Amino acid sequence: MSLSRREFFKTGAAVGGGIAIGLTLTGCGGQTAYPGANPADLRANAYLQVRPDGHVVFQLPRAEMGQGVYTGLTTLVAEELSMPADTIIVEHAYYLPEFRDPEFGMMMTGGSVSLRNNFVPLRQAAANLREWMRRAGAQYLQVPTSDLRIENAQVVSTDGNATGFAALIETARSIEPPEDAPLKKPSEFQQIGRESTRLDAVAKVTGTATFGIDCQQPGAVTAVMRRCPHLGGRMKQFDDTAAKAIKGVQAIIPVNGGVAVVASGYWPARKAADALQIEWDKGPLAGLDDAGLRQRHDELLLEEGRNVAETGEADAATGESVEVVYRVPMLSHSPMEPPNALVRVDSDKVEIWTGSQVPDTVIGVVAAAIDRPREQVVVHNQMLGGGFGRRLVPDYIVEAAMVAKQVGKPVKLVWSREDDVQHDYYRPAATARLAATIDNGRVTSFSGKTVVPSIMGQLMPMYAEAAMPEWLPPAIPRSLAGMAKHFDTSMTEGLGDTNYQFPYIKMDTVRDETPIPVGFWRSVGHSQNAFFTESFMDELAHKVGQDPVAFRLQHMPVESNRYQVLKLVAEKAWGKAPAGQFQGVAAHDAFHSSVAQVVNASVENGNIRVHKVVCVVHCGLAVNPDVVRAQMESAIIFGLTAALKGKISLEDGRVMQSNFHDYPLLTLAETPDIEVHIAPSEDAPTGVGEPGLPPLAPALANAVFAATGQRLRELPLKLA
Amino acid sequence: MSVIEFTLNGRAQRLDVEGDTPLLWVIREELLLTGTKFGCGKGLCGACTVHLDGQPIRSCSYPVSLAAGKQIRTIEGVAESLEQLHPVQQVWLEENVPQCGYCQSGQIMAAVALLERNASPDDGEIDAAMSNICRCGTYPRIRKAVKRAAEIMQEQAVVAYFDPKEQLS
Repeated sequence: MSLSRREFFKTGAAVGGGIAIGLTLTGCGGQTAYPGANPADLRANAYLQVRPDGHVVFQLPRAEMGQGVYTGLTTLVAEELSMPADTIIVEHAYYLPEFRDPEFGMMMTGGSVSLRNNFVPLRQAAANLREWMRRAGAQYLQVPTSDLRIENAQVVSTDGNATGFAALIETARSIEPPEDAPLKKPSEFQQIGRESTRLDAVAKVTGTATFGIDCQQPGAVTAVMRRCPHLGGRMKQFDDTAAKAIKGVQAIIPVNGGVAVVASGYWPARKAADALQIEWDKGPLAGLDDAGLRQRHDELLLEEGRNVAETGEADAATGESVEVVYRVPMLSHSPMEPPNALVRVDSDKVEIWTGSQVPDTVIGVVAAAIDRPREQVVVHNQMLGGGFGRRLVPDYIVEAAMVAKQVGKPVKLVWSREDDVQHDYYRPAATARLAATIDNGRVTSFSGKTVVPSIMGQLMPMYAEAAMPEWLPPAIPRSLAGMAKHFDTSMTEGLGDTNYQFPYIKMDTVRDETPIPVGFWRSVGHSQNAFFTESFMDELAHKVGQDPVAFRLQHMPVESNRYQVLKLVAEKAWGKAPAGQFQGVAAHDAFHSSVAQVVNASVENGNIRVHKVVCVVHCGLAVNPDVVRAQMESAIIFGLTAALKGKISLEDGRVMQSNFHDYPLLTLAETPDIEVHIAPSEDAPTGVGEPGLPPLAPALANAVFAATGQRLRELPLKLA
Repeated sequence: MSVIEFTLNGRAQRLDVEGDTPLLWVIREELLLTGTKFGCGKGLCGACTVHLDGQPIRSCSYPVSLAAGKQIRTIEGVAESLEQLHPVQQVWLEENVPQCGYCQSGQIMAAVALLERNASPDDGEIDAAMSNICRCGTYPRIRKAVKRAAEIMQEQAVVAYFDPKEQLS
């Protein structure tokens, strides 16, 4: 970003309809955030500082990856400080223990927890600053505190006289900062619950938002990697004769089981990488293909597994038995910004510019990988060009650090789209057998068993090692965390914890101990388990001859939020499809929110066409209703891609898809009308980034059944 | 290496580069304009969309040698002046289109090119022109924003920044 443009945006010119540009993104050169370079700032707490010029700085403790925390969390702070959100300087926070999520114990952005877990702490942090400045104002102006209020980063007295924060900093330093200042009552909210232009929107429509891939360092070189195409395999030997001859190539080195090419820019690096002749050791998955994976799941279905839920008495399960098998394939995250990281390894400091959902894990794994103490590692987090769970795994950052250490220059390592599709931590393939008994038109039992790998089992050792003190031998946290697979709730979330009520319910799960790398994909276990349960519920409704909405309502607690959203969505849309369109419904609880959707679809020439999705979400108080709507739209479209197109397939342990031509994503032309309603609520906010996704696939599959009579039990949906 | 000259956002550029380098990497790495994004490298997603003599192209698979003598416009050259964003950018703000924002430079370049050619595109024309991929699923808002921008541009009689006809005459 050129200085002049940056300075321009900072001046706050008016745009179009009068939206003030308060562009305050810290670019790649930014090193001014706490902790570090600004001892002159008044530090109210880890989150909030006042600069000597009176500006309020907010350390955004969560990564902005499209889900809207940049706007949502800043709004919480702005509300308690009674100042416009766009006048607050927002910095991507550096790692601090205070920024760890209280639920996960990591500085993590995921699990749809950002608003839920920060709703009170951030407002408290801001209220404490407000109260501190008020007390400082009282001392400075020699008036009672009760005569003063805080507004627009000023202390305002009853006669209207205003004193800016800048004048109060020294006085404030002499006063103990309050820790339990009163929070505003919901009835006093001026910003929370209102819509506004996203605070990151101006930067994102002008091309000035800084993503990891945009970061620069003097003397930096570009690296790309060739990795074994067979998952888990490694390089045996390579011939770089042709690659070395390409102009601009500076180094070709074996790294982390693959080969890195370092060059003056992306293009020569890519050309040279393509010219490498590499012999691979295919590794543990050699020979595995989709049929083998399917057969393996069928065999595992026969195992007893682990029981995760059982309610009622087994002898209540009387009547005719129904038993079916559902399947979902592996999926790639494919955020639009391919994984990348810029790393600079100096003698006493390791600096990383990247987009990550887990900056503290990055510090731990990079320190371990290149043998540096953690306190030398600094993560300059940036805007994320999509996360969806992909950036919860810092593999790409470790690669960049290893290359940078070897070449002794700052290295920007950039993945191609092919790298991304073929070396992801995939949403695992999962299989479920669902069963019920039906006696005299009544469902008397509902049971299921899933076969799925444990994501926690694979990834927790890494997170644990990075979170535990570094003097601990890594084997200790790793083996402790390895236990996670024995109680990994993500395997059955949305299945084992359903609030459906039947005389007897039993849910089991069998762990697929596979070396296929698996990871957290938007809505995680819910992404498949909602498809299983909500499709099967539809089957049962039809079996007993009941309306799918009425059947569901009859089997869930009337006071539940899910009951409320299902009832609401039915009022809005159920039974109102235009001629030629058919409807399906699903309702699911995930991340403490409830979402119900009605899909209108038709089948034309064997192709499924989605016309409209009506969605109702209960997410507690909607801090920014427009961001909530955007997240529902987003999850619906993400879900449509998975339901209609998404499939990663294997041959000889190698991913067969490579780019958007064979791993297609939904396009604008295929996007249906989407209507989102937010159920009114005064509860504290709950998740919105993920809960909109799970109901989509079953609602669509149920609509396809209504249209064709075909019950499709496998994703992506393909008509016979 | 060969010397290639073109105009970027109204400024003459003269560069010594390998002719097969995709225009995207020249813009990003040589000219340090990073608003244009790398998404797929195969012209499939449109994150790298720029205008070449007024036409939208996918710069990740467009050799820089073919840009010689051409007028190139990137997202950094879309706003008429620094005080006034392009109507498409304004509407993008009003509709709160961006989420992660990574594809939005390309989306906006595609929309601007469409509206400079076609003052009031219908849904089919929007579908055809706006083929850029957005993983966040901002499509419903993009459709709405393109229609709204068309209205505003007609009201304001916005003149194309680059008029190919003018260039020919």
